[in-house]
Amino acid sequence: MAKIYTTPSCVYCKMAKEFFAKHGIAYEEKNVAQDVSARDEMVQKSGQLGVPVIDIDGQIIIGFDQPRLAELLGIK
Amino acid sequence: MYDVIIIGGGPAASAAAVYVARKKLKTVVITESFGGQSQVSDDIQNWIGEKSISGFDLAKKLEEHVRSFSDVVEVKMPERVLGVRSIKCNEATHVCDFEVKTEEGNIYEGKSMILAAGARRRKLGVPGEDAFNGKGVAYCSTCDAPVFAGKEVAVVGGGNAGLEAVVDLFPYAKKIYLLARGDALKGDPITQEKIKNHPQVEIIYNAETQEILGDKFVNGVRYKDVKTGEEKIIAVGGVFVEIGSVPNSEMAKDLVELDNYGQIKIDSKHASTSHPGVFAAGDITDDPYKQNNISAGDGVKAALAAYGYLQKRAKQSPAAEK
Repeated sequence: MAKIYTTPSCVYCKMAKEFFAKHGIAYEEKNVAQDVSARDEMVQKSGQLGVPVIDIDGQIIIGFDQPRLAELLGIK
Repeated sequence: MYDVIIIGGGPAASAAAVYVARKKLKTVVITESFGGQSQVSDDIQNWIGEKSISGFDLAKKLEEHVRSFSDVVEVKMPERVLGVRSIKCNEATHVCDFEVKTEEGNIYEGKSMILAAGARRRKLGVPGEDAFNGKGVAYCSTCDAPVFAGKEVAVVGGGNAGLEAVVDLFPYAKKIYLLARGDALKGDPITQEKIKNHPQVEIIYNAETQEILGDKFVNGVRYKDVKTGEEKIIAVGGVFVEIGSVPNSEMAKDLVELDNYGQIKIDSKHASTSHPGVFAAGDITDDPYKQNNISAGDGVKAALAAYGYLQKRAKQSPAAEK
């Protein structure tokens, strides 16, 4: 299951979610602007103070890295 | 062989694409994404005809409009241009074709070119900036401000972008240091009013950022007071860099004339560059007003000028057009 850490005003987060939707990928969203424990979890997992961070079965992707997402999700 | 190669995906490139499409010119648009720099803007209130639109929605509208001409316009995205050059130049007529190479390993050839690749964020160029990128150094306050909830942060830049970053941080950061290089702020008075005398904000003038400090994450910034020469360190968990932009013109530096800032010099009447057949529009050029609406208008000029150029070229050397 894909997990995405977002903030509401982040455009790259929206793009990533659209990418998931377009390819029928189910995902769980964590809004780190509201959920402090999710923020800390994100920072700990990724070493990043920035969104989006995407977790696909333990593989961490920083930013909306479309080629890498496609690769990990097996999307051509 | 394309009639027109358009590089970029912001308002300038999109407007140019729409106009060349309506002239039925065979066109390729090469871009990393649509929307340009305001793609990350939460709320654009000056795109004419829209009282309020997000950068995300503007980007989608531009892309949809360009893609609606799929009969004549091909879109190559995401694709990054490495370099452009002229080929097969006719010495007598100065007519050339152009070749565009991309990071993806593709080569495109065209009879004319519109350079509209915009600009990107300027970096500080100080130690620690790259090492802590994403680890406290941030370039998108609308995106990342909430991640700094409860922290003390610094914003570097006294222009509009810097002031707006401070405003973005108000709901989240405990304290915001604004480091301005000059002895006054440059941004709009209306935004200055919002942040001056705000209890969370401390403005530090004459501050030249020297280094971003940290171990795993940012824990401070060192700056020099340019008046006294004194160096100081403030403890912060984040540094937002908002010091303007640099044009994405490196790819064309050997083909067209640039000014001292790396902007492509254009004759703004016809969006023409120093090289016949090459046009430029938007933030990549030396046009003084970096605005979405201006870029769109300049993109239209570039498209119409390219159309005129191609018609003239066809008359001059019909053989080359086969």
